[in-house]
Amino acid sequence: MIMARASAFRAFRISPLLLLAWAPLAWMVWLAVRVPQGEALTLGLGNFSDLLGSGPFLRYTLNSAIVAAWVVGLNLLFASLVGYALARGRFRGKRPLLFSILITLMVPRQVTMIPVYLMAARMHMIDTYPALIAPFAVDAFNIFLMRQYMQQIPPEMEDAARVDGASELRIFFQVVMPMVRPALAVMGVNTFLVNWNSFLYPLVLTNSDAMRTLPVGLALYAQGEHSVDWGHLMAGALIGTLPVLAAFLAFQKQIVEGILAGTGK
Amino acid sequence: MSARGGAGAGLGFWGPAFLLPWLVSFGLFGAYPLLFSLRLSFMSYNPLNAAAQKFVGLQNYVTAFHDPVFATALRNTALFALGTLPVTTTLALGLALLLERKFPMRDALRAGFFFPSVVSAVVISILFKQIYSPYGLLNSTLRGAGFSPPHWLEDPRLALPCIMVMDVWSSVGYYAVLFLAALQAVPAEIRESAVLEGASALRVFRSVLLPQLQPMLLFVLVINTIRSLQIFTEVFVMTSGGPMHSTTTAVYHLYDQAFFRFEHGYASALAYILTGIILVVSLLQARFLQFGEGTGT
Repeated sequence: MIMARASAFRAFRISPLLLLAWAPLAWMVWLAVRVPQGEALTLGLGNFSDLLGSGPFLRYTLNSAIVAAWVVGLNLLFASLVGYALARGRFRGKRPLLFSILITLMVPRQVTMIPVYLMAARMHMIDTYPALIAPFAVDAFNIFLMRQYMQQIPPEMEDAARVDGASELRIFFQVVMPMVRPALAVMGVNTFLVNWNSFLYPLVLTNSDAMRTLPVGLALYAQGEHSVDWGHLMAGALIGTLPVLAAFLAFQKQIVEGILAGTGK
Repeated sequence: MSARGGAGAGLGFWGPAFLLPWLVSFGLFGAYPLLFSLRLSFMSYNPLNAAAQKFVGLQNYVTAFHDPVFATALRNTALFALGTLPVTTTLALGLALLLERKFPMRDALRAGFFFPSVVSAVVISILFKQIYSPYGLLNSTLRGAGFSPPHWLEDPRLALPCIMVMDVWSSVGYYAVLFLAALQAVPAEIRESAVLEGASALRVFRSVLLPQLQPMLLFVLVINTIRSLQIFTEVFVMTSGGPMHSTTTAVYHLYDQAFFRFEHGYASALAYILTGIILVVSLLQARFLQFGEGTGT
């Protein structure tokens, strides 16, 4: 009884900290829903409807969704294929291949940014979806993640299917992929978060309002030095955060697993 | 023909075929850009002025060495890393210790502290730009309490610390999750026997938990350092590197040179210098902390 009360007290003691952690987010929501009307102050969704009804914000949101959907989908397919080949295949040159993945994980993305930009410019791909998708379609960390996971799965099921005469493609899609579903969820949600929030590459690879992603559009809007319209800006920030919140609520365990996968646990 | 024999043969023709996506991706977006930017770093290369493209040897690296803004940027980046690392790490560890034991609503509280760290850097930066703005949340609160507060982001002495505070706020939850996982991996028996022997809570932490947390501590310090050395989005949104370069970081300077001035040769040299610094610092940290572990016990 005393123990239970002590532990309830612990939750109570932590709550000021939680308030500190959430106060800025609560402030964002407050600014977004507050609509000044003359002297009086009312709450409403006016900022949201203004934002989505006119101007480029709906476009930004749509662009972010399209790019994220492609990047997640392509990673689910490609990172799994490559991870599977690395976990099971025996071929010459496997070592240099693993090394290429390690190098990619270690080198900061800013080093490759200028050549990727020049390449996209030369191919007239600035301001296109492929330029925003292709550089992220096969992520090195995701390959590493899938390889780790697949190495832990015994190969008996695949071998049995092989004995039954199933083709390698069929084995991959119908035997392996269903078995690695938990890893696919981890990879999917983390890839979504990283891509939805990504900023530097989309900033560099887009020029026009029609192709900006949500973070880029918001950031450029916030940069305007004179009379920033906080209400609309916070509404936009909130729209950008809602999918993140949804992913967080649905896949919190998988997000943590993805983070821990990088620690070698 | 055994079942194992099938696996032993690998995937046959399909093995290399399955690898193709990575080979293409690494070639186009890894190896080629890496080598091309190395080449660029030895060139005077401005895409707006194609006629002036030529090899200049080590000139860009020499220029970087004498570039006062780059020196400022490196100093700001180092300040940012040195100022945030100990604070973030300590707070995250403390938070993990608070959230580790069993108590009502623990999982909800854990989620509550973790969530801010998955929100996008752009959203956080916009939010704090408002909070720090002359008539933002912070100053209206301070004015209400009778103070006459400064203009945080417009003051060269305060702008960088303001961004650092925001960074601590937004990343503590992330590292707390990592520490929580490490704490849960500590075998319960070790801790219980120490408690039974009458060790104080502080003693249990120092002698039992801390040694067990060492690998995670190293990991947290290394990834947080790498992240700190690459800080960009926050600066772009909140201050554009100002006032008077007081918040210009290494990557912001690189971006400025590459995409405002279009000095792609010089910016590539900066990128290589930054990569070198990141590799050296993370190797040193790994060496140093493992050495500490070896002599500490």
